[in-house]
Amino acid sequence: MSHAQNAVVMQGITKRFPGVVALENVSLEVRRGELHAICGENGAGKSTLMKILSGVYQPDDGTLQIDGAEVGFASTRAAEQAGIAIIHQELTLVEDLSVAANVFLGREKCRRVGGIDFGFLDEQAMTKECGRLLELLECSVSPHARTANLRVGDQQLVEIAKALSLNASIVVMDEPTSALTESESARLERTIARLLASGTTILYISHKMDEVFRLADRITVLRDGRHVQTVNRADTTAREVTGWMVGRDISGVDFREPRSRGKKLLEIHDLLLPWPEHPRGYRLSNISLDLHAGEILGVAGLMGAGRTELLETIFGAVEPTWTGTIAVAGKPVRFRHPREACAARIAMVTEDRKRLGLFPDLDVAGNISLCSLTDTLVRGFVNRGREESLVAAPIRDTGVKTTGPHASIMGLSGGNQQKCIIGRWLLTKPHILLLDDPTRGIDVGAKAELYRLINQLCREGMGVILTSSELPELLALADRIIVLAEGRLTAEFERAEATEQNIMEAATL
Amino acid sequence: MPHREPVLQGPRLLRPSEWGLVLAIVIAVGLTALADANHSYWFQPLESLRDIARNTALLGIFALGATVVIIAGGIDLSAGSMIALSGTVCATTMLLLAPLQMMGFKPVGPAIVAVACGASLLVGFLVGTLHTWLITSIRLPPFIATLATLVGLRSFARALCESSTAALTPTKSALINVSDPFFKMVRENVWIPVAVFGVLALITWLILSRTVLGRHLHALGGNEQAAKLAGIRTDNVKWFAYCFGAMSAALAGLFYVANESVAAPVNQGRGHELNAIAAAVVGGCSLAGGVGTVPGTVLGAIFLRVVIDAVSKLIKTGADVYEGLIVGIVVVIAVTFGQIGQMAKGGRRLLPGALGLCAIPTLAILCGTIVAMTTGTRSGLVSAFAAVVLLGLVRWWESRRTA
Repeated sequence: MSHAQNAVVMQGITKRFPGVVALENVSLEVRRGELHAICGENGAGKSTLMKILSGVYQPDDGTLQIDGAEVGFASTRAAEQAGIAIIHQELTLVEDLSVAANVFLGREKCRRVGGIDFGFLDEQAMTKECGRLLELLECSVSPHARTANLRVGDQQLVEIAKALSLNASIVVMDEPTSALTESESARLERTIARLLASGTTILYISHKMDEVFRLADRITVLRDGRHVQTVNRADTTAREVTGWMVGRDISGVDFREPRSRGKKLLEIHDLLLPWPEHPRGYRLSNISLDLHAGEILGVAGLMGAGRTELLETIFGAVEPTWTGTIAVAGKPVRFRHPREACAARIAMVTEDRKRLGLFPDLDVAGNISLCSLTDTLVRGFVNRGREESLVAAPIRDTGVKTTGPHASIMGLSGGNQQKCIIGRWLLTKPHILLLDDPTRGIDVGAKAELYRLINQLCREGMGVILTSSELPELLALADRIIVLAEGRLTAEFERAEATEQNIMEAATL
Repeated sequence: MPHREPVLQGPRLLRPSEWGLVLAIVIAVGLTALADANHSYWFQPLESLRDIARNTALLGIFALGATVVIIAGGIDLSAGSMIALSGTVCATTMLLLAPLQMMGFKPVGPAIVAVACGASLLVGFLVGTLHTWLITSIRLPPFIATLATLVGLRSFARALCESSTAALTPTKSALINVSDPFFKMVRENVWIPVAVFGVLALITWLILSRTVLGRHLHALGGNEQAAKLAGIRTDNVKWFAYCFGAMSAALAGLFYVANESVAAPVNQGRGHELNAIAAAVVGGCSLAGGVGTVPGTVLGAIFLRVVIDAVSKLIKTGADVYEGLIVGIVVVIAVTFGQIGQMAKGGRRLLPGALGLCAIPTLAILCGTIVAMTTGTRSGLVSAFAAVVLLGLVRWWESRRTA
């Protein structure tokens, strides 16, 4: 293959972050005008590699060539000037600004006054151009709309409009459909087709196999920061690619040998959580479910579907504006504070571990004992000795690998951090355990250990509600699966009838 | 399914909350005109207007600076000390260039006045640069960086004043008299600070709402990470914001010197930084950043000064004693107005649990003491009792509603 064919050549890229090697000696060649899919599990290094390509990060080692010329991007702006635009996985919009302002953020169009550029905004030109781009994307929002008021799918399209406004020759899309509904995804695919037809090169990160196989010309698989394979789509199968992604066949993992269902722990009827000042009007609507002891209830749904809100409502972590009934052990409750939920023997492990779970300045013991510090008191003071013996049990039971209770929590791997947080809640002896995407950002091996732990807790009689952004995980663990779409409960499946196919269909209703 | 989103920027002049402020100002002025026993608003309308206009202009000038910093997601606590330093630098420069005229209370000439004022504004730029450096390079939180300069700059101004008077005049002094006719002219013509305030407000409004820089200030305050990823040089935007804040305070400092004919670093502008932040917050700025308008801050400053003036008209003596109290109450009430709607919708309670129970006597004692000090012991007791009854009713109603 001649070099002239390649739009992007990355060679020997290495990137280290404190404590982790995110990328190790990764090489990648992307041909001009192709759609190149980058696949891999969470934490495989896909996003890091794309952030290096678009100037967000600088590599520690390795070279980058664009159209045959070696380049080094000091900033996103330098990458933009070389014709590279990235659509980030996490939306990077300023919510208080209008749609048009976001599309042209950092590259505002100016109006000359008396022939001199004083930096006055040319709102008219930006509004017009933004309107044209949105029309191209078949998006019906007004360029004047406040970005915070848009639905997630429309916000994603604003991000795409932002990239389009650059007229980039290389567009990186980092899981652009993770928050989109079926029709929005179809709309995006039409845009992608148009971009490809006009000669744009697209790098497309996704772990949705059907999407990758529908769109991609070639596929590159990363695993644990290393390059595994680059193949033509025609030469492979989804099953093979998934195998490369996880490094082994995970279909064998199944914890679903019958568990005995105990008494009813939780019952929710017609739950409605309003969302004032939002066009939809509610965060959750018409939710009814029940949970028994010794049962894992899976909650599936796309980003923004209301999974976290459901768990937070049960846990009393949102303002109690909801209507309907929530009954714990047969008694109706209305928790105003998570403390009241704890008292009712409910525990919740939050989705965003770094922001809502860990206390980086406390050690392992401090992180685990936090919710049961009263058990460590001796004459009113926290006793370090009692704290150590208190946390010994959860460290052992959850299998935390640490040098000791006084090790720094930030020195542990993601999986071990998560076990510490689960251990923290086990000390409160909960009957109901709410797990919000507990394996997010955790490597495959640690995931399997967490599955085993969750399965074991359930067998000991706990009722577990588990959300996950990965369907195979729910399919492997849950006895029943409910599906949320835009705040509504759209389906409930018994384990026998649940498949990825019918769950995805219900999630995009 | 297409749906209409609320549109952000309409062609309207003021937002609803700002019309609310206009209404509040009219009501405050009207009530004062009626309740004031001397009826000074009726008999001396021009003098009253001049007082309020001067005070509003002085507060407004650096409140605009505070607004820009707050919109950019920062905070500048040092404005009051910057005012003192600016005045001291101005007076010291004149003392240095024309010691004999300064000591003889004689004119120093327009050239030297211009150099002195320029020096003050330059110091404002330097202080803004220092803030930005501390915040972006040392990575101090803005609160800490400007807290340090709040304390440090005033002390620095006092030291500068004392050492320059010790070196250039026969006696060491904690203040420098300024008697050039230029400053007298500024003092006697109220329209000058008002015009400067007006022009500065117009420029700030243009920058914030019509320029790329203004857009970037909003973006920085709204979501710094997104601003960075959009390729905005956020450090430079911060540099502008903090320099604008410090230089507007320096400008206000010159007017304080003119007003009082003296540069007195010990007390000039003391505590005024909080009035500026209060004016911005009353005008609708969010301390979280990204939100705020110039018309809002202008109205906030007017409202604060009108209420302070009203109280000084009603309580004949020692009104300046109550200034801080008034500002505090006005800020709480203004922000509460924005919260009450959400509270009712969110099912939150005003007086929940044990905290609410303790808040009732706290508020009643506060209210009763203020009334007792200003109008008499009996009315103090009556209003404290009334507050207990009223808040007790609120609590009773809340507990019934949620039960």
